[in-house]
Amino acid sequence: MLDAFSKAVVSADASTSTVSDLSALKAFVASGNRRLDAVNAIASNASCMVSDAVAGMICENQGLIQAGGNCYPNRRMAACLRDAEIILRYVTYALLAGDASVLDDRCLNGLKETYAALGVPTTSTVRAVQIMKAQAAAHIQDNPSEAFAGAKLRKMGAIVVEDRCATLVAEASSYFDRVISALS
Amino acid sequence: MKSVVTTAIASADAAGRFPSTSDLESVQGSIQRATARLEAAEKLAANLDNVAKEAYDACIKKYPYLNEAGQANSNDTFKAKCHRDIKHYLRLVQYCLVVGGTGPLDEWGIAGQREVYRALSLPTAPYVEALSFARNRGCAPRDMSAQALVEYNALLDYAINSLS
Repeated sequence: MLDAFSKAVVSADASTSTVSDLSALKAFVASGNRRLDAVNAIASNASCMVSDAVAGMICENQGLIQAGGNCYPNRRMAACLRDAEIILRYVTYALLAGDASVLDDRCLNGLKETYAALGVPTTSTVRAVQIMKAQAAAHIQDNPSEAFAGAKLRKMGAIVVEDRCATLVAEASSYFDRVISALS
Repeated sequence: MKSVVTTAIASADAAGRFPSTSDLESVQGSIQRATARLEAAEKLAANLDNVAKEAYDACIKKYPYLNEAGQANSNDTFKAKCHRDIKHYLRLVQYCLVVGGTGPLDEWGIAGQREVYRALSLPTAPYVEALSFARNRGCAPRDMSAQALVEYNALLDYAINSLS
């Protein structure tokens, strides 16, 4: 498992040179607290995000909860919720580390083949991941949609900076995209 | 590669939970020290050749027998290799400064070190002397800030201890 710092070291070691370009790492350090807030925002809302993403996926495809569907009966629905939480957890780890290696090595490696063997529909999984991607962006920006969330609206109440952590939103989105491309 | 961040993630993953407040606290502690570490890494990278040269000269000065026929510093090839080895340790120290842990030194320097030096019948005392010279040569604020020097010296001490 690598983080942003050890990734720089491993690539410098390949050419037996010192780590010369430290500007990206300095930026990582300078925005460190923002990153921790972003990780905290996702971790604190994780169960809400997971259940909403799976519920949204099912709303769009009711066949999943009818007999023969992949979220029927409760046992398979529980497995689905568990998997969504696992995927979100590894995305959170990757966001904390600033590097996708933990997500690749421990979650995505072989996931597509496993789902194919178990008969899990990847289009539905991808849809749930897409919903979590949108939710993660909203929580990192601390700007969840009142129209969509309604009574379930949750805010972290962090002091939000002008750009609403645009780079972190982009980074988190890239990890979700990584999951989507690994599955499809 | 072991660092504060990867350690926190590995323990969270082993327990199957999201990063907890205490995980984030430990990462934050590492990030707070990172400015000094990166400063030391930057300064060391800029002067790596000079630092390595001075350290190499110091250890040959202390152990002149190494220049005698059959010894480890007796011809140009050997001299170049000795100098390279010192530079190698300093490069790993720079990596450790970047990572914020001793992972690079542990994995690429110390693991197997004793066996290699024994097989090649190299003495470790000159390495200790070279690294000790570098350890005592650094000066704040001439070379880097005081906090950066603390981080740099701590890693040199770690390397010295592994050799002695």
